Amino acid sequence: MDITEELRKIVGGRLSVSPSELYCYSSDASQVKGMPDYVVRPKSTDEVSLIVRLAYENNIPVTARGAGTGLAGGAVPVGGGIVLDMSGMNRILEIDIDNIQVVVEPGIIQDALNEALKPYGFFFPPNPGSSAMCTIGGMIAYNASGMRCVKYGTTRNYVRDLEVVLADGTVIHTGSKMLKSAAGYDLTQLMIGSEGTLGIVTKASLKVAPLPKTRKLVIASFENAEIAGQAVVKTFSNGVIPSACEILDRISLQVLKRYDPKLVLPAEGDVLLFEVDGTENSAREAAEQIIKVCSPLALSIKLAESEKEMTDIWAARKLVGAAISRLDPTKTRIYVGEDVGVPIKKIPELLKKAQEISEKFNLPAMKYGHIGDGNLHLALFIDVLNKDEWDRLNQAADLIHRTAIELGGTVSSEHGVGAARAEYMEAQWGPALEVMRAIKKALDPKGILNPGKLGL
Amino acid sequence: MKTVKNEEKKETKRANEPDKNEVSGKTGKKQPFEIDRRSVYKCVQCGTCRSVCPVFDAVGWESANTRGRMLIIKSLLEGRVPSEDVLSSLASCTTCGICAAKCPAGANPPEVVEAARAQLVKCGITTSAQEKLKSAVITYGNSFGETKDRKHWLSETKRSKLPEKSEYVYFVGCFDSYRYPEFAKKTFKVLQRFGVTLLPDEQCCASPLLRTGFLEEAEKVMERNLEQIRKVGAHTIITSCAGCYTTLKNNYPGELRVISLPEFLAEHLDELKLKKLDLTVAYHDPCHLGRHNKIYDAPRKVIQAICTLKEMKNIKENSRCCGGGGGVRIGYPDISLELAKNRLKDVPEGVDYIVTSCPLCIRNLRDAGGNIEVIDIIELVAMAMK
Repeated sequence: MDITEELRKIVGGRLSVSPSELYCYSSDASQVKGMPDYVVRPKSTDEVSLIVRLAYENNIPVTARGAGTGLAGGAVPVGGGIVLDMSGMNRILEIDIDNIQVVVEPGIIQDALNEALKPYGFFFPPNPGSSAMCTIGGMIAYNASGMRCVKYGTTRNYVRDLEVVLADGTVIHTGSKMLKSAAGYDLTQLMIGSEGTLGIVTKASLKVAPLPKTRKLVIASFENAEIAGQAVVKTFSNGVIPSACEILDRISLQVLKRYDPKLVLPAEGDVLLFEVDGTENSAREAAEQIIKVCSPLALSIKLAESEKEMTDIWAARKLVGAAISRLDPTKTRIYVGEDVGVPIKKIPELLKKAQEISEKFNLPAMKYGHIGDGNLHLALFIDVLNKDEWDRLNQAADLIHRTAIELGGTVSSEHGVGAARAEYMEAQWGPALEVMRAIKKALDPKGILNPGKLGL
Repeated sequence: MKTVKNEEKKETKRANEPDKNEVSGKTGKKQPFEIDRRSVYKCVQCGTCRSVCPVFDAVGWESANTRGRMLIIKSLLEGRVPSEDVLSSLASCTTCGICAAKCPAGANPPEVVEAARAQLVKCGITTSAQEKLKSAVITYGNSFGETKDRKHWLSETKRSKLPEKSEYVYFVGCFDSYRYPEFAKKTFKVLQRFGVTLLPDEQCCASPLLRTGFLEEAEKVMERNLEQIRKVGAHTIITSCAGCYTTLKNNYPGELRVISLPEFLAEHLDELKLKKLDLTVAYHDPCHLGRHNKIYDAPRKVIQAICTLKEMKNIKENSRCCGGGGGVRIGYPDISLELAKNRLKDVPEGVDYIVTSCPLCIRNLRDAGGNIEVIDIIELVAMAMK
């Protein structure tokens, strides 16, 4: 069977087999590579269903992809086959404020969704650093979260229903507009975070939240990251739940200042950013309490003075990950070992060990991340033209993954496992991985959906 | 084609260091593909550029966005042999630079793309549109292949009275010379008051050659202009074309002082004695004046001295490209027009004109239709001088 011709019958000109195009779909922001044989850009559930059916009948791997902003190779077709570029299915189908939800296609960009919700006074809270470019489909597939998940939770907490194309092309719905259901397995939750290995999401009903009346930002600096970690633990144990709680170590701080010299940030130390939201009174009280609790540990602590000061800091924070080249043009950020997480109480220990690993392999690193939920983004950067630095980088990444598991944590808090972290699934999950494999086998007996991922 | 076997374990491939960097072109010869590797490897493939690339917005394929282009260039550095589809990616970049403005890693993709185009030219890999453009500039000294006198818009008498020596030269550019001679006339009318002259035999500034990779040819054309500038004795070049401006400013030797028409007008507002007009206009920032050279305030100052300015949805550093630059208008007219239509969506309600200061932007935005007339800043000034 001429697969190219069959695909063309389904999507017409939205098919490419040109070498350059295929190459552009052979990677994401991770180091995982894999060439597809075909790229298609479907426009409807029917098209996706027909493509998957064709793949099923011909044993061809199918890998769904959103904006390709992933950091674990999740959308990289390591087994070749068809890449489904879902980013063209990007409509908002319904804004149903009466039911506090919105129905979208998976290709909608997170920021675009929030832009559309703003006039209604609502928002979709999970906000990855890549919110300007990542798709909701990708967020669902990897259970993405971001800076505000410490208060608002992850994507998982906002999905009511998914339309999913299964491995044989069958289309199902996993939920409804209902707030709750006690009927049967929760297939919605099963699909979230399954990285396209169980089905392809073609539609999603998402819960939205009212926009807070106000947000305030407390900026505190500490002698070292470990003490900053202690301040976080103390804040939580004092009953304050910030809407974001971020750490930026001193190198991250230098990078941010280089990125935007006008940013109002402390001159020294490792920095914590605590955001609180709510009404004017509740936010002020929470901010005051954070200042009171953290002051004995902090070198400096202050409340951001203006909305602009706050917005600028958050905008810069979102971009810090890739900005190291601005400080040192010979260095490039490589996304490996960048998403570990541990229980909150273990944060100071993780920070200490991360520093030791950076020193052991003589690799400079930025430490930043959503410290409020135990998620550390360790940013290792190297001279990509130096092979020795690549070797040390991979060893350091391996060690940070194993350290997180030893501390009772996870190799990925929000970026996903993909192919980059597949080798750690056994160590993290033990016999539970067999249960995942059994589920995979039941739903995708031919193994065509995103093969080579999740250690399955 | 690969098919899945259930028990088969696929090995995950990781990036390896490139060891080859030669490509074979139409010439059949192996040529080194040389680009500063660091400028390419700065890109971490985060996709920030994907969300702002105007060509990608119109086309939808990954190869049509900045990240895709950087990836393709990386692959050429690593030894992949280029083919026609490489060109459709690299030649469709308008070099608008919004990717560079947004890139967290500080990469400069337009520079990398231009360098890659030059390498492909060296290997003999070009589009027919590129070749046509090159041939027109080399043969006729202008990008349109026009044969008539470049100063046809000036009467014989006025031409004969042009000062042979002057400290100031008005560099007219191909567009205003051949497509918008009325702009040239109006501009020169204003500039003449300040003793500005024209080059005796102005040639294309070489921007089309530089943007599309013909570096050697560009050098020769630039030299012909430079010789004349030196002969005239000018230390300052004034130009009303954003493309000419960035080329004269950034590609010609640093000895020249280059100023854009909006800057010149803003500097001489008092002397121009402009009257207020009951108009509301929007201003479109040309990429090569705005993002590439940070000239945002001067045109706004001129406009606000005359009438009310109502800003477009995306302005200054965030301004969206008209689609005309980088050889895209000539090479990919459909994409180019789509970009112009998208840019027109940024125009606010209730404006009488869209004002800009680049003839290429004017051409493209006019071609995109729309109900509001697109004019050059000199036309607004001319109205205020009546």
